[in-house]
Amino acid sequence: MSGSALWYLSRATGVVTIVLLTIVVCLGVITAGRRRPRGESATIVMGLHRWLSLGMLVFLGIHIVTAILDGYVSISWLAVLVPFTSGYETLLVGLGTIALDLLVVVMVTSYLRHRIPERRWRFVHWASYAMWVVALFHGFLMGTADQAGLRAVTLACAAVGGLMACWRVVATHSDKERRKLIDAQEWS
Amino acid sequence: MTDIAELLETAGLTGRGGAAFSTAIKIKAAKENGAELIVNACDGEIGAAKDAWIVEHHLHELIEGAALVASGKRPRISYAAHRGSRTAELIARAGLPLLEVPHRYVSSEETSLISLAHGGLAKPMTKRAPFVFGGRDSQGRRVSPTVVLNAETVWRISQINRLGAEWFRSFGTTAEPGPRLVWVGGHVARPGMCEAAAGVSLSDLLDFAGGLPADARHVGVGGLGGVVITAADARTTIWDTPSMKQLGGALGPGIVTVWNPAECPVETAARLISYGAGESAGQCGPCMFGLPALAADWADLARNPTSKGRQHLKLRLSQLERRGACAHPDGVARFAQSALRTLAPEFAAHANHSCQKVRTPKARTAHAQFA
Repeated sequence: MSGSALWYLSRATGVVTIVLLTIVVCLGVITAGRRRPRGESATIVMGLHRWLSLGMLVFLGIHIVTAILDGYVSISWLAVLVPFTSGYETLLVGLGTIALDLLVVVMVTSYLRHRIPERRWRFVHWASYAMWVVALFHGFLMGTADQAGLRAVTLACAAVGGLMACWRVVATHSDKERRKLIDAQEWS
Repeated sequence: MTDIAELLETAGLTGRGGAAFSTAIKIKAAKENGAELIVNACDGEIGAAKDAWIVEHHLHELIEGAALVASGKRPRISYAAHRGSRTAELIARAGLPLLEVPHRYVSSEETSLISLAHGGLAKPMTKRAPFVFGGRDSQGRRVSPTVVLNAETVWRISQINRLGAEWFRSFGTTAEPGPRLVWVGGHVARPGMCEAAAGVSLSDLLDFAGGLPADARHVGVGGLGGVVITAADARTTIWDTPSMKQLGGALGPGIVTVWNPAECPVETAARLISYGAGESAGQCGPCMFGLPALAADWADLARNPTSKGRQHLKLRLSQLERRGACAHPDGVARFAQSALRTLAPEFAAHANHSCQKVRTPKARTAHAQFA
């Protein structure tokens, strides 16, 4: 495969990854609040959240491997996991590395979720928001900013995810309200 | 020295708080894990009074029993009682470590006491495994091994230690040996503590308090976590687990309450169910929403007893079964189930507007009525 093909492949898979990541984050936001879907739709949303995140790994893997194999710029294998060690675009590649590191932590804790106190798992899972933001910056500043179409995709991802996050903060629920009411009673 | 756990196993002592779990197994685990002990003297169930009675009359034996259970060089023992109660006062006056429990129905539940003793709220916790092995609260914080025993259970331990397993087994039935305290109260001539045992008849228990009054219509057995039965059933039923099971109940924490016949029993039940709904700790959905919904359904059915409403209530009850982390929704649902069955004639009277009973006076609380 020629160098430019690898380069295009790397960019394409990068864009697909950010789209999938945004979808996974949005699905996570939907299930995270008290106003979560019920019954079958809850199963579908959770299932999609889990399986899409796995599917995303395929594209992410190709994105990383092709970026390194492409000899045109120098990105070392070390730069995959250690941030700011890349010769090419040290800062921007470093952002991608940070996002990947966060992703590893989030996924590992999720697969060990049944062995970790819920509180710790949740704490770590909050890092997903940071990961998503860092990944967006990585994508936007590095590759897609000079191409109107790709830029639109990244901006759309940011807009959709941002709106979902706002909804998560604002949305209230009868459950939350009733808990608050009961907690105000004497319990100690 | 005989091993106390072995002695209790021979005696066949079970928890007197209502769960009837083998005390020997519990104590063995407590000793192996060096668990701290909480003696539950809350009388948390509506109409219960035996813990207070033991603290009042047998405090020294209670302390003796607790010392037999507690392990280690510096055993950690505390005595749980409702804040401001006479029991709490007596415990404090005796210089014993008092765990002050808020006056809430679910706060005297085993895991609530453990949570409270470890600096948390007096709300039930999920038992992934018994807390005698140690565990974690809902926030994931570590909870050191703790065992909770009902005050009567601890008192019985000291008795068995002094008088022997054979003495203990001379009371009750083979399956359910040992003496048991029962508070007989409500609409009776002489409410009081009865030293009974499994296998006596309910009418014998009631005779102790002056007999079942001729105008009595319904008898509650076991409080809000128990059942309500008709006076006719109360005259013929034996107080042991197999017989009580046929009526949907159990021996429970030793409570027999004759309902006030001047009050409409549908209203009495409504008041108890509403009280139970208000006592949810707000942790599990089926409890925090299901119980208020059940109370509302009950009130609807009392106003307008249609077969559709009855079906709706039954569906609601089935949705509560085994759905909470603690047994609170189960207990209230069990009570409502038995009330629905027992009070069928009264619901019929509501349907044709022939119920003449007075409505509930507002000032009375569930506790005042059943104390």
